[in-house]
Amino acid sequence: MDPKELRELIEIISRSEFVTFELEREGFRLRLVKGNSAPSAVVSAYAPAPAPGPSLPNTEAAASAPIEPAKALPAEPGIVDLPSPIVGTFYRTPSPDAPPFVEVGSRVKKGHVLGVVEAMKLMNEIESEIDAEVVEICIASGQPVEYGQVLFRLRPTL
Amino acid sequence: MFRKILIANRGEIALRIIWACRELGIKTVAVYSTADADSLHVKFADEDVCIGPAPNRESYLNVSAVISAAEITGAEAIHPGYGFLAESAHFAEVSRECGLTFIGPGPEVIRRMGDKAEALRTAIEAGVPTLPGSGGVVQDEEHAQRVARSIGYPVLIKASAGGGGRGMRIVSKPEDLGRLFDAARQEAEAAFGVADVYLEKYLPEPRHVEFQILGDTQGNLVHLFERECSIQRRHQKLLEESPSPALDAGLRARMAAAALKAAGAVQYVNAGTVEFLLDTSGEFYFIEMNTRIQVEHPVTEMVTGIDLIKEQIRIAAGEPISFTQQEVTVSGHAIECRINAEDPVTFAPCPGKIRSFHLPGGPGIRVDTACYAEAMVPPYYDSMIAKVVAHGNTRGEAILRMRRALESFVVEGISTNVPLQQRIVADEDFVRARLSTRFMERFLPAEKRPAAG
Repeated sequence: MDPKELRELIEIISRSEFVTFELEREGFRLRLVKGNSAPSAVVSAYAPAPAPGPSLPNTEAAASAPIEPAKALPAEPGIVDLPSPIVGTFYRTPSPDAPPFVEVGSRVKKGHVLGVVEAMKLMNEIESEIDAEVVEICIASGQPVEYGQVLFRLRPTL
Repeated sequence: MFRKILIANRGEIALRIIWACRELGIKTVAVYSTADADSLHVKFADEDVCIGPAPNRESYLNVSAVISAAEITGAEAIHPGYGFLAESAHFAEVSRECGLTFIGPGPEVIRRMGDKAEALRTAIEAGVPTLPGSGGVVQDEEHAQRVARSIGYPVLIKASAGGGGRGMRIVSKPEDLGRLFDAARQEAEAAFGVADVYLEKYLPEPRHVEFQILGDTQGNLVHLFERECSIQRRHQKLLEESPSPALDAGLRARMAAAALKAAGAVQYVNAGTVEFLLDTSGEFYFIEMNTRIQVEHPVTEMVTGIDLIKEQIRIAAGEPISFTQQEVTVSGHAIECRINAEDPVTFAPCPGKIRSFHLPGGPGIRVDTACYAEAMVPPYYDSMIAKVVAHGNTRGEAILRMRRALESFVVEGISTNVPLQQRIVADEDFVRARLSTRFMERFLPAEKRPAAG
């Protein structure tokens, strides 16, 4: 499934009445669970590893990452979107076996690394620009991101 | 053949490449800046990736962003179009290192022919006539004075890395040389990051005649005859046609042979253009080779019936050119007018929102454009919004078709140079094919006279 197809599918599902959605194709399984601002679940895996670099965390680790198109959601007051500064592949972990940089609910200081976007084999660290709590991780690890696509939603802390 | 191609460009050429891919059954990936989110190339491509904000440097010229977009979408090849990264040897090199096919010549050839002094050296070694000049970079004013004396005034100073007229100066007498030499170097440094300039003989009334070349990886090399692009303003082409009314069969054959010699000297692969200046005496001189598809390629397509973009893609995929030299024939005459979003009198760019938009059509008319009613013409990029191409059995018929096409081309909301193009195709010198690269110079003051009373 290409990124565009996936995006479109998620958009359709997020607008629908369904709470859970599962799709299975040869070598590919997708499970979408809708939630509100609480962690929702997405399981997404390509059969052959999609790209070099950090491989996808196991499905349990990815289970807390909703990959709804961030721009489609209404902005919640006080919530800050953190868009991707570059095109590339998003990873939640510094290496395939390492734990994720942050989880939903993590409290981070300004400058804390939240994830990485790989572009041309270079890992670009995505840092929080504010002291904040991670409210939402908008992209599953290993997924492609465009310039300007929202990666994280943060609630500023005092 | 490729399954998926990324198009590293925007506007009409991005669409033109999408159409070629459609016909070849190849999936397309569009890349775009945030300013182009509503552009047609984004709409008509199979996939699209936003690669950065509006400024060129951060989006369409951002090598890493373009390559990343190809990697995340699984594209196998990149078509650079013209402008942006089309003649970046660095980009071609990085593409290759990342396992992506750059649809164009190899980085070595782009580098060699992109450096004008190096290109001239290549032409001279291949026995292609060049303008008498310094034959390489001129180091200082004293060197420049020596060269200018030996070739005779007027002389032209040009930037080694140049294009589009930047870093270029005409010097008519020795006492101006020092000042203009410094000015050209400064401009070259500012525009291209390299101050190197060279000197050559200046022709007072030359015609610009270029030959379309195609080479494949099997070593076949063919030409698709010429285009005359003498109608330019500040070295920016405004109107192009094929065939050139200035060539007879003998001269055409001699120039084509020279063009093939220049391209053959670098074992040229893919589409390229060898540009010549043609003097009133019938002498011609190699000026440069462009290692990309050109804006004006449609006039060649109209008279030869050959789809140059499809040939480029086939060649990049390792296939041989789909025809032989003997099979290339010219049928009729084609003229292209570049339509720019600019004031027809002051030439100031005129970006903004197009309110209504009506394209000309009918027999013999082709329009390449990515504009539509309600489209925004962003201020960040080239001002060209359309290319109107007219084909006729004769030059006269092509002119008549172009006139009625321009009359029925309606663009409201922004200013365009359609009125200027109408004046050009109605001009007596144009109709009589009395052309030179100074045509616009003669034409514009003549246009001012009635206005002044």
